[in-house]
Amino acid sequence: MKTRYRNVVAALAFTLSGAAFAAPITIATDATFPPFESIDANGKLVGYDVELMQAICEEAKLDCNIIAAAWEGMIPGLIARKYDALISQLTVTEARKKTVAFSDVYQIPSFRFVARKDAGLTLTPEGLKGKVIAVQTGTPMDAYITKNYTGSTIKRYSSGSEPYLELRAGRADVHLSYEAQIIHSFTSRDEGKDFELVGPTLTGKDAPEFGEGVAIAVRKANTELVGKINEGLAAVRANGRQAALDAKYFGAE
Amino acid sequence: MSWDVIYENLGRYADGAGLTLMLTALALGISFFLSIGLALARNATQPLARGAVFIYTLVFRGTPLLIQLFLIYYGLAQFDLLRQSFLWPWLSSPLICVLIAFVLNTTAYTTEIFAGGLRHLPPGEIEAARAYGMSWWTQVRRILLPAMLTRSLSLYGNEAIMMLHATSLASTVTLMEITGVARNITLNYYIQFEPYVTAALIYLVLTSVLVCGFQLAEKRWGAYLQPRRS
Repeated sequence: MKTRYRNVVAALAFTLSGAAFAAPITIATDATFPPFESIDANGKLVGYDVELMQAICEEAKLDCNIIAAAWEGMIPGLIARKYDALISQLTVTEARKKTVAFSDVYQIPSFRFVARKDAGLTLTPEGLKGKVIAVQTGTPMDAYITKNYTGSTIKRYSSGSEPYLELRAGRADVHLSYEAQIIHSFTSRDEGKDFELVGPTLTGKDAPEFGEGVAIAVRKANTELVGKINEGLAAVRANGRQAALDAKYFGAE
Repeated sequence: MSWDVIYENLGRYADGAGLTLMLTALALGISFFLSIGLALARNATQPLARGAVFIYTLVFRGTPLLIQLFLIYYGLAQFDLLRQSFLWPWLSSPLICVLIAFVLNTTAYTTEIFAGGLRHLPPGEIEAARAYGMSWWTQVRRILLPAMLTRSLSLYGNEAIMMLHATSLASTVTLMEITGVARNITLNYYIQFEPYVTAALIYLVLTSVLVCGFQLAEKRWGAYLQPRRS
């Protein structure tokens, strides 16, 4: 009798362990940040990060389910096991490293200010004293502005698109974001024709708040998944799939 | 659990609570006086006045407050004419936009509450006032308003609580009230339970104070409406 129970338990354990590996991996992204991640007219997730993640999953033979999630709940959701990984232009910073594990860096983003063409702003903390700076809350841009521009009024928004409405309305004087996102979402469009990128290009070399680059976030304990994602990332680099995505989205060779 | 983060940020929660109370007090204070006039118009004999107030209350009770707030804050900013007008220095402020949205919304609900209080007024009271030769204004001042307000106290108390809770929407347009502070802590420390539990507790305390206040007011002014104990 005992042997029969033992066999049943063993069979169940074997089945469940197999199911655990076969279970789809849930990957969250904040779909308000084109060209990296957004939802198209058909309600489908699109963008550089989305396509890159799909390619990584194919190469690493992972069954991935990419879903849209709110920016503010992404890292807490990852820790709470709601998601298995996050891809959403997440910069690798010391603060985040304490909480989550990261894959290899897949991109080094550049950050720029955007302002009205005739604004004539000096983009130093002194030059922007008393001015209104719009940022997406909880981002590297927010951290950088909060630390350095103490004399300015900082307005924080929950999505990456709201600051552009504020710039157009004149409620904000300047906005700091990813250069590619500013161009794609604003300055290349009719709504942003009166605005331009201003000031120097900023990267992680200029300020630690901008991090070492962007990577895929995974729970600290899930080292196996980090390894698989890194394998997939190496493969998409080697076979030119990432280069093709760079060309498609940013016109890079 | 990361309660040390909450302890470090208690000052920010206090600032947030201050803004929440200010928004609630201003919205309720302004809407209280607007609602009295509108409630009288809602029960007026002139169909035009009655109809206009009905349409206003229908629109603002029939659409979500968040949409009203976005229409006022983001929507109005689309019109160049408005942006170049003398109104823009005020309308460009999130605080003013939030107050406009909150006042318009809570006034619609409060108008219907007060109008309902007026409708439940026994006709005998009005007839007695007329028999005494009271003018319309004296009737309003001495009979209609006191009766309307005392009969509406418990419902108005609920509306005040709803307004307190609705202030959490102000964080969607950059105002750092209680919910805004909680969201900001969540984003900077990657914890969700503690910031929101703290926010909920603050709301609970503020709500309890409001409830006690309205219970005292009902005892003080609405006692005569309670059924008599034999």
